[in-house]
Order: sequence, then C-alpha cells, then structure tokens
Amino acid sequence: MANTEKKTLSRKTLNKSFHHWFYGHLTVFSQEHMQTFGYLTSMLPIVEELYDNKEDQEKAMKTYTAFFNTEPQLGTVIVGITASLEEARASQGIDVGEVDDTTINGLRAGLMGPIAGIGDSLVVGTLIPVILGIALGMSSGGSPLGAIFYIIVWNLLGYFGMRFAYFKGYELGDKAVGILIGAQGKAVRKAIATIGGMVVGGVAATWVTVKTSFRLTNGSGKAYLVLQDQLDSVYPGLLTALFIVLCWWLMAKKNISPIKVMLLLVVVALVGVLVGFFNPGLTY
Amino acid sequence: MTISWIQASILGIFASLSSMPGMAGSTIGNYTLGRPLVGGLVCGLVLGDLKTGIAAGVAMQLVYIALVTPGGTVSADLRAVSYIGIPLAMVAIHSQGLAATSANAADLAKSMGTLVGTVGTVLFYGTATMNLVWQHIGWRAVEKGEFKKLYAVDWGYPWISHLFFSFIPTVLMTHFGSSAVHALRTALPMDGIPMKTLFTVGALLPCVGIAILLKQIVEGPIDFIPFFVGFTFAASLKLNLVSVTVISLIFAMIFYKLDMAISTNRQPVPNGPNGIIDDDEEEEDI
Repeated sequence: MANTEKKTLSRKTLNKSFHHWFYGHLTVFSQEHMQTFGYLTSMLPIVEELYDNKEDQEKAMKTYTAFFNTEPQLGTVIVGITASLEEARASQGIDVGEVDDTTINGLRAGLMGPIAGIGDSLVVGTLIPVILGIALGMSSGGSPLGAIFYIIVWNLLGYFGMRFAYFKGYELGDKAVGILIGAQGKAVRKAIATIGGMVVGGVAATWVTVKTSFRLTNGSGKAYLVLQDQLDSVYPGLLTALFIVLCWWLMAKKNISPIKVMLLLVVVALVGVLVGFFNPGLTY
Repeated sequence: MTISWIQASILGIFASLSSMPGMAGSTIGNYTLGRPLVGGLVCGLVLGDLKTGIAAGVAMQLVYIALVTPGGTVSADLRAVSYIGIPLAMVAIHSQGLAATSANAADLAKSMGTLVGTVGTVLFYGTATMNLVWQHIGWRAVEKGEFKKLYAVDWGYPWISHLFFSFIPTVLMTHFGSSAVHALRTALPMDGIPMKTLFTVGALLPCVGIAILLKQIVEGPIDFIPFFVGFTFAASLKLNLVSVTVISLIFAMIFYKLDMAISTNRQPVPNGPNGIIDDDEEEEDI
C-alpha cells in the first residue's frame, strides 16, 4: 500500500475541517469523552480527501478515537497541526513511514495540557473579562449597547482567532510544538499571566464592592467612627480585596469547592446582618 | 410581570443553545449567549423590558465574569443563570417595585440569579450523562466504518439531551417560578433579616467569581502582586479597564524579555524539541 506521491489538502477541505471544529468541539460532551467526537468530525473531511480506499480511512480515523480535551479556542491549533501530520502520513503511505498513530497521539496528548493552561488564562482569564469589563461599563445604565458590543467583538475575535490558530498550526505542523511548549511558550505564558493578574485586579476594583455599615455614634446620634471610611483611608477597596483573597485562599489552599464557598458567604452575610456589620439599607 | 408559555419556550431554546456543551458551539453558545450580559439582552427582549433585563444581566455578569471550567469541572453552568435566573430576577425586581438600575435591584438580581443558577450544575451533569448514549452510538459507527453517522452523533442527537435538561426545566421553572416570586414578596418583607441577608450575599458573590479566576493565575503570594497593582490602579487612581490593560502590556513585555534572556543564558539548548526555533528567538531579542 506504500504510496510516495505528495498529497496536499485542498483549502476547501481545511475550511470544512476548521468549521466542524469551530462548531462541534463540545456539542456531544460527556465526562468520559469530552472533545473526542468533535475531533473525529473535524478530521473526517481530511481523512476522506487524503485516503481513497475505505481500509486506510478506517485506519486513519482510529487514531483520533483517543481521549481529547483542551481549551477549545486556542486548542484549534492542535487540530491544525494534526491536519498537517495526517497529510504527511498520507504522502508517505499510511503504515510505512515515520509519522504513525503513536507520533500523532503522542503530540496530541503532549499539547492538550499546556494549551489548556495558556488558553484558560489568555482567553477565559484575560480576553473575555476585558471585553466584558468594557461592555459592562457601556451597559451599566441599562443600555443594550454593551451587550451588542460584546457579541460583535468577541465573536469576531473568537472566529478569526480560531481560524488563524488552525491555519498556523497546519502551516507549521510539528514545528509548532517547540513554539508552544518550549522556553518561548513558557515566557509567553508568564507574560500573559501578568496581564491577566492586573486586569482581574482592575475588574475587581471597578465592579466588586463589599462595604460595611458598621459605625459608632455618640449620645446625640453623631457618628464618630465610620468603619468603611477608616478602611478606605488605609487602602481604597480594602474590604473588597480582603474578601477576594479569603475566597481564593479557601478554594486554592483549602480545596473547598466554589459552591461551598458561596454557601459560606451566605452564612457570613447572615451573621454580618445580625450583628449590624452589613446593612444594604433597603426600604420600600 | 408574568412569563407566558411562549416566552418560556423561547428562553428554553436559548438555554439549549447556550449551555457549556451547548448546541451553538462554545464560541457562539457558551461564551456569547451564555454570558449573563447577553442573556440579559435576550431576556429583556423576550419579556419586553429591555432596561431591567440588561440591568439584571450586568449584575449577574459580575458574579460570573471569571467563570473558568478547567478540565470540564463546572462550578456553575450558566444556562440556568442566564435563562432561568435572570427572567425570575426581573420578575422579582418588578414585584418588589425597585428601580431597574438601582443598586438594590442589582443585589436582588445577583442573589436570585445565583440561587437559581445552582440548578445549572444538575442540568450540566444530566446533559453530559445523557450524551453518553449518543457517544455509544458513535463508537458503534466508528467500529463499522460508518463515519458519516458521526455528524448526527455530534450535531444532531445532543438536542435530545437538551430537550430534557435545558428546554423542559427552563420552560417549567420560568413559567411557574414567576408566580412563586410574587408569593415571595408578601412572605418576605424587604427590611427583614432574610431579605437583608439575600442582598448582602448578592454583594459578596462576585468575590467568588474573581477568586476562581485568580486560582488560574496565582500560585503563591508573589503572584498576587500584579492583581494588587491592577486593583490599585482602578481603586485608588480611578483608571478604567482599558487603561489598566494598556499599562499591563508594558509589564508583560518586560517579563517576557527577561524570561527569554534568562532561559537563553542558562541553557543553550532548551528542552523544547526543536532547537532551530530557539535560535530564531535569540535573533529577535537582539
């Protein structure tokens, strides 16, 4: 079955493969096989174009039945890389050359984790909060403008960013691996985490406010200690920052689940209201 | 304000599209329609009160601004927050007679939406579990070499999971929940302990969202420095978010250059599998 003619995927097939991933990477998600089926559907057009006989197609598709899960937006680059590897495998003959099941799956498994790490902090941790933060400001008076802004900006960045990742992955093939998980990749991750950290700090200070209503009054009803003002004169937003660090500590250091932390806050709120530390000051 | 069957059904369809393994794909589904800000826009249009919808969406978005789902572990699936929580919060805001853009309305929306939103976790696991059936059909198809069936497995059958775990729960909860919210008004006065607690929780909850995000970035105390620098820029210097982002870029650039310089000095051949690429980087740095 050895076949040494050079095979090249058509632009049309690559587009099809990309769109299958763009849409279907998570649609049939389960805890057992998270993005595996999304991967299979995006490799199918490629396998069908590269291999004429059914037997080779089946052999190639079997490669992609291995478990797959990563951050889906940035993870598009992995699909692009495997498209290029599959092309190389078809050109050398499916079971004779150096690119085989083990190479492809080794690479997929090796990239899944690091890409999920970069993707989570870059896409979900920084990009989306920044766009949302801008959008929230535009919508804070009840205007739909911010929501519309978010829909347009995120979808354009999401679609074209994923498209770029796919075709860059295809173009670079296995060379992309060095860039993604080598020294440069590590430096990029660190730099992105810095942007992420600062932006999240900005988001927290802009949009989260924890305030205490605790005050001490003298005989004539005049307040001589307003705790909130005292705290803010030490460091503006001190109470908010303390609560965030507390939540982080509970989740990151004590391994308490977010749901339990939320329940704990309910208790804190109840006690706070009872002792007069919190009072939202409601009236009809 | 009540929610009719037709309105509830539209919300049900959006819930199916927007969940974490949603039917609109994660870019358009989870990350667009699933965001409470966008959910607020949709719910506002469906229920005919755009202003309250957006206001409730903005409030809810703060709680979930930083929802990260590492490795498929889900702290809250947003379909219930955006398409059950927000509509019910809107009803609650109306029945309490609060002004749509007031801080009280926002706090009520937050606690209401988050409370209802916890249902999302159940819905998420329900959907994912039912999808195992379609995946089973998919494996059979792969074994037999009937690859075209994979498209139905990936794009078609999961709608059935969503009928049971997104559409029906949303329709029932929004339609019947709205009368329950009205009953709540008479049962719980605004200045009582339960309502005060509910509102306070609403103000505290965004801390959890921010903390979930920090968990991704912060490993030790030193990693908190960028966070506090950003916090100080916004809280003390009153800079807006775009300005904070721009300033952060210079720090990112410095750290990148520094890291690259350290790694090229320390190990001439870094552990990356491809040495040629690292040579390129050295030239870039000069």
